Amino acid sequence: MIRLNGRIKTVVLFGIAIIFLIVVTMVGAFFSEAAMVTDFSRKDLAPGARYLFGTDWLGRDMFIRTLTGLSMSIRIGILAAGVSSVLALLLGTLAATMGKAVDAAITWVIDLVMGIPHILLLILISYAFGKGFKGVVIGVALTHWTSLARVIRGEVLQLKEALYIQTAKKLGVSNAQIAWKHMFPHLYPQFLVGLILMFPHAILHEASITFLGFGLPPEQPAIGVILSESMKYLAMGRWWLALFPGLFLVLTVILFDVAGESLRKLLDPGSVHK
Amino acid sequence: MRKKTYKLCLAAILTVTLTTGCGEGKSSTETEEAQGTSEETANDSTGQKNSVIVAMGTNSEPESGFDPAYGWGAGEHVHEPLIQSTLTVTTTDLTIDYDLATDMQVSDDGLTWVVTIREDVKFTDGEALTAEDVAFTYNTVKENSSVNDFTMLKEAKAIDSTTVEFQMERPYSIWPYTMAIVGIVPEHAYGPGYGENPIGSGRYIMKQWDKGQQIIFEANPDYYGDTPKMKQVTVVFMDEDAAYAAVMAGQVDLAYTAASYSSQTIDGYQLLAYESVDNRGFNLPAVPASRDADGNAIGNDFTSDVNVRRAINIGIDRQEMITHVLNGYGTEAYSVCDKMPWYNDKAEVSCDREAAKALLDNAGWVVGADGIREKDGIRAEFNILYPSNDSVRQALAADTQNQLKELGINASIEGVGWDSAYTRALAEPLMWGWGAHTPMELYNIYHTLEGGMAEYSPYANASVDQYMDEALAATSLEESYELWQKAQWDGTTGITQEGDIPWIWLCNIDHLYWARENLMVAEQKLHPHGHGWSIVNNVDQWEWKGTDF
Repeated sequence: MIRLNGRIKTVVLFGIAIIFLIVVTMVGAFFSEAAMVTDFSRKDLAPGARYLFGTDWLGRDMFIRTLTGLSMSIRIGILAAGVSSVLALLLGTLAATMGKAVDAAITWVIDLVMGIPHILLLILISYAFGKGFKGVVIGVALTHWTSLARVIRGEVLQLKEALYIQTAKKLGVSNAQIAWKHMFPHLYPQFLVGLILMFPHAILHEASITFLGFGLPPEQPAIGVILSESMKYLAMGRWWLALFPGLFLVLTVILFDVAGESLRKLLDPGSVHK
Repeated sequence: MRKKTYKLCLAAILTVTLTTGCGEGKSSTETEEAQGTSEETANDSTGQKNSVIVAMGTNSEPESGFDPAYGWGAGEHVHEPLIQSTLTVTTTDLTIDYDLATDMQVSDDGLTWVVTIREDVKFTDGEALTAEDVAFTYNTVKENSSVNDFTMLKEAKAIDSTTVEFQMERPYSIWPYTMAIVGIVPEHAYGPGYGENPIGSGRYIMKQWDKGQQIIFEANPDYYGDTPKMKQVTVVFMDEDAAYAAVMAGQVDLAYTAASYSSQTIDGYQLLAYESVDNRGFNLPAVPASRDADGNAIGNDFTSDVNVRRAINIGIDRQEMITHVLNGYGTEAYSVCDKMPWYNDKAEVSCDREAAKALLDNAGWVVGADGIREKDGIRAEFNILYPSNDSVRQALAADTQNQLKELGINASIEGVGWDSAYTRALAEPLMWGWGAHTPMELYNIYHTLEGGMAEYSPYANASVDQYMDEALAATSLEESYELWQKAQWDGTTGITQEGDIPWIWLCNIDHLYWARENLMVAEQKLHPHGHGWSIVNNVDQWEWKGTDF
């Protein structure tokens, strides 16, 4: 039997997580039309060979709906987390390099955004932008950048005092070059891991506000919609409407977390010899 | 590593439970509340056979209290006000009978109504109810009503203690239907706090109101009519799933429910289904697409073709829809006022898909390569809007979508909030719910406003307008019924299949309730739109069968 070392195990874990997520995203996107199809001749069916996750009161196939919902969640997560992390990188760096006034202003904004309960701010922003896909993406993007921005600001502040940066400065290297050649490679792992670890938050928050009725519209196959609709039918014993979509949401979130953690380990210089 | 994964799993599961927990939490607290209330009242009435606990939806709780000026009994969802008396009442066949009134006369020009009232009526604070109170009530609602239109009334005057005279701005033959929803309030005890501490002369006295939870009514011992058999009525407010849970736990005697629950059985309870004119249907904008002064889209190029609207009307299989969506608990609807005295049964059509296709073919809507019809570059498609929190309307929209596909019409569905629904419905079909105990609803939907178009969906027909104006100017209700019917179809024009058919009516939704098997609910008149207070219109006549309860 082959004994895998810690690093290879981590690579395998990372690979599985990423492949699963990619497959779900692609399959879901492919079936997005089919997930909207209603057929009253097959409504309220319990899970079986033909309909793995059963069907709902409109006769929609819950397996396809779950996959499409996850795919939608992941796409929203990628978009929102992407925007959010770029925002974090930009503001974090600006705060650390542009002097006291800018630093104070950006830190104040970070404190402000962090001070308001996440879900409340999300609902407000999403609602202000007319809910739907756009509202959710903007809402999630504008609320999730703060902690990563803080981390980056701290890193940059530390780097500024580092000997090799000081040396580069003395040698007359331009600020832009220092940032790109010396600082960015150092920040990169933090940024990437921060980005991936933002996905689970983004996905859960998307599901939450959609569940509460401030996100995606009800005909969309989104996990939040599916879960909130299922509430009504739980008392009637239609457990499958909530169980499978809920489990898959958990699984997706966990896999993103696993992927993020694995990546952190792989990028951590200390793990090279494990 | 393993420990970490375990922690992660736990964290993720916790988060998800938190996310999904919100809704569950809500309904379970509601159930607990309901439990609390039912225990309380059950203790009060142990051994009695004359109290009843009724569960209604949370939006049935009157926001502004029991003040007729702010929608109690009147407004969007009409019902008998219980606490107050009305001058007239609607009967089981939706004609007019008297409550406080003993006689009513209208002048030939339709501008003066004289109503005489009973002498023996007292408010529950002991004061007599006089014509002064009646006049005060009507002048107050005219001034303040936020939910009803009283612009046809000029002034109400008390001529003596039992005669009241209504001066009208314009003839309004269906005034008796308005009189049936306005509860009479006492002039001496009416003020800003009236809604929360109502005094009336009706069958019940409001004893206690725990906002967000329950309202307790007790029978009025001095009621002038038949003594109420139910001495105490408790109304609790809960969501559909919580109401179902409360029934399963045996905490309420009667609870509203929806068709999606109708396949369940609960020991000790039976499912009651009452026919209604609580209809569902969608509008088809009858003018070509354009924009109004504010830049809002108005009209629709596809549905502005009358043959399209006719084809859709006969292409819909209403019975199939009722089976699919309502589990059979509904009746086919052909108008906004089915089975009412002013309904014209010429509106009835039978489903004929071949005829529908032929209509579209002849009108030049040719099936394209993808199975969707087209004419002059316009595709046969539209979006059906529905209120996003209404699963029944969502299902009706989805079924309509499936049925229209067979005609070669491509419909999509979209959930919208009421904040944008009214404006968007001017250009796109919206799944509406209507149905009231007054012909005024026909007027509101089909009669044009000053701008030249009807209010909710762009449509205009001078002849339809004229019949309705004449109906309002008629000197007797019977005469007006006939004119209302002619407005729907007079043999050459109207709003039915052979006419302009600007609205497609799908079904009347049966109002469903779980009721204890030994609870005898009195005969119901056709329920109007709003699955709420109508059921207790005659709660005073309900009874418990047997003595074991």
